[in-house]
Amino acid sequence: MQQNPRSQEVYDVVVVGSGAGGGTAVHVLTAKGLKVALLEAGPMLNPYTEFLEHKMPYEYDHRGAEEGGKAYFGKGKPFGFFSTTSGGWQLDGEPYTVGEGSQFQWFRSRIIGGRTNHYGRMSFRFAEYDFRPYDKDGLGTNWPISYQDISPYYDKAEEFIGVCGSIENVPSCPDGKFHPAPAPRVHEVLVKKACDKLNITCIPNRRAVIHKPTNGRAPCHYCGQCGRGCQTASAYSSSQVQVFPAMKTGRLQVFDMAMAREVLTDNNGKATGVLYIDKRTRTEKTIRAKAVVLAASACESTRILLNSKTKEFPNGLANGSGLLGRYLMDTVGFGLSGYVPALEGMPQYNTDGNGGAHLFMPWWLWDKHQKLDFPRGYHIEIGGGYSVPGIGSYHGAAARLGYGADMKTKIREGYGASIGFAGRGEMIPNIHSYCELDPNVVDKWGIPVLRFHFKWTDYEWKQARHMEKTFNEIITAMGGRVSGLSAAQRESNGISVPGSIIHEVGGARMGTSMKNSVLNGYCQAHEMRNLFVMDGGSFVSNPDKNPTLTINALAWRACDYLAEEMKKGNV
Amino acid sequence: MDRRALLRGIALAITASGTLELEAAQHVHSETTAEKAKNGTYKLKEFTAAEFKTLERLAELIVPADKVSGSAKDAGAPEFIDTLSSQNGTLADLFHGGLAWMDAEMRKRHSSGFVAAKPEQQTAMLDLLVEAGRLEAERRSEELVYQKAPVYKEFSNYTVKREHELAVGARFFDWARKMTVDAFYTSAIGIKDLGYLGNKVLSKYEVPKEALEYALKRSPFANG
Repeated sequence: MQQNPRSQEVYDVVVVGSGAGGGTAVHVLTAKGLKVALLEAGPMLNPYTEFLEHKMPYEYDHRGAEEGGKAYFGKGKPFGFFSTTSGGWQLDGEPYTVGEGSQFQWFRSRIIGGRTNHYGRMSFRFAEYDFRPYDKDGLGTNWPISYQDISPYYDKAEEFIGVCGSIENVPSCPDGKFHPAPAPRVHEVLVKKACDKLNITCIPNRRAVIHKPTNGRAPCHYCGQCGRGCQTASAYSSSQVQVFPAMKTGRLQVFDMAMAREVLTDNNGKATGVLYIDKRTRTEKTIRAKAVVLAASACESTRILLNSKTKEFPNGLANGSGLLGRYLMDTVGFGLSGYVPALEGMPQYNTDGNGGAHLFMPWWLWDKHQKLDFPRGYHIEIGGGYSVPGIGSYHGAAARLGYGADMKTKIREGYGASIGFAGRGEMIPNIHSYCELDPNVVDKWGIPVLRFHFKWTDYEWKQARHMEKTFNEIITAMGGRVSGLSAAQRESNGISVPGSIIHEVGGARMGTSMKNSVLNGYCQAHEMRNLFVMDGGSFVSNPDKNPTLTINALAWRACDYLAEEMKKGNV
Repeated sequence: MDRRALLRGIALAITASGTLELEAAQHVHSETTAEKAKNGTYKLKEFTAAEFKTLERLAELIVPADKVSGSAKDAGAPEFIDTLSSQNGTLADLFHGGLAWMDAEMRKRHSSGFVAAKPEQQTAMLDLLVEAGRLEAERRSEELVYQKAPVYKEFSNYTVKREHELAVGARFFDWARKMTVDAFYTSAIGIKDLGYLGNKVLSKYEVPKEALEYALKRSPFANG
């Protein structure tokens, strides 16, 4: 076996993956004085050369359609040329497969910082009841930890990464340590008034964007294009906020282009390191460490564990329960747009703000489930305003309006008068939704790939119909009209494609025993004391709160525990 | 140099205290296609002069000049289509074929190609293509729903319909239109036409009172 000269060194901890979980892990562990190696399957990131911040489309001959008009053929970057995604739904040479009768899309980023470089930054705490879902409605499984266990770590995570918001005392979405929230825009004020009328809670949004100087980071400068990446790191990314500062401690060694294949173990029930493929040289290398932290994303970490087969662990590591890959979840998504004549012809202003919506609607019927035909809740995200024109912005309008002077006038008049709502809801984990190794396929690094199986059930479909009814009511209350889905289209497209909301979690869930789960409440494998999974893999349920902040908090808590256990000699 | 071009040359740096400092950085500016078009230095990359003239005429018809702003031709739409087509054979063939089809169709009707025809003949052709496109879109979406959801059969009188006789022209016009519209609204001219004011550095964010009052007055919440 090829050996990396550096691998002779034994690190305290090796972390696989540099997103929200891995970024938090390297920050917390190096701050405690531990020597850490970080593996990332993609390259190093340079925000100053790679983020297309403040660029306008006419600065490029292709205007954002990319070389040869790739965007017109569905081959452009997943969220457009200007977005900073380094990855996508399909990666060359790194496939996954989907079982017959299932639909699933898996978004992977291969770059330092992973998906945190471009994500929506929505940052909501789980509610107390979210940790005890089975107690509430008899479905799913309770978490082995409570809100009280994680609350101090939500505090730490919010204070460190910086989250804007306001104190509201909404039980479904607990308050945190917030930076001041920006003022609502005009369309959002109308949404709020419509919600007041409909008894829907509508409050300032909570996003990982700072509005006062924090640890050397400048406050938001309101260019409004967070998805392009933020050179001032005013919008949180694990690369800029956690990994780069951790490198400066001198205790972090980053190995980029390092595709982890398996966790190495000895014969005494301990992990000894990670075997990875150095993508630049196509050679196998190893990193030795006293503890292994997988934070490669819920499904990628699951894949690594499944691939870590030994005589002792024939079904993969930490899989004595046989549950590895099970209870895979995504968020239920449904969107509806409308046209609001009250906004037509408004004196124009800059609506970019801090990038995302300035208001949102947390789940407002959390104590009224007996009156509903579905068990769990959703929150509502708002879109609207005068957005930056790009490739495709007016294809729909042009197709509707034909061409010529009339089309041009109507596009101008309607600019900024559209509104959009996106529901983000909780699914119930089900036995049809899981991933496993595909025995027929390996990727170009020779690593067996995942095969996904996924199904929405009636719980999710009924929730999506409630979203549709609600969005309809809000648009109507604003004096607007619904545009978008016809009844017939809804029949086939009334719910998001599984995986497409990019909130895939579970697969290595935590629980009270090795019979019902892979990990304990500290994200530690029941079967191996020095092995941890610190990404969304540990999630027992997938509440209607975007997962990143909870990944940050769980990883922080797990690292405190890991460092303590190492000090005691237990790990 | 306009405001945007200035912004392009600005690098953001953070001082130790965490405040924002704007620092004008050296910036090497290469002339974009839109600017070359404006300066009359654009050289055709894919299309013949005759094809390009047709793209120019289409651009003027699709997004015409009015009292607010110039046309899609002024905004560099023909150059945009030419540049991308020169990088992509599929796209190039789509336009070569479509332009030839449209000229042939025009000659059949008016014994002259598209550019030489009278303006009302040109718009009459585009109207036909728009209508064909509308019918085609309807047919395709019905078909899609039918394929995706067999249960739909029960409440529709769906029957398989044949393509419109101008379907090929409608498809070409759809390409010409969407790329022309994109080129217009992503140009400096088009962005100014819409009045987009964002994607720039602000030290604070405010929502103007007059905008709020305007919308509230016109909304169902005019009285609170």
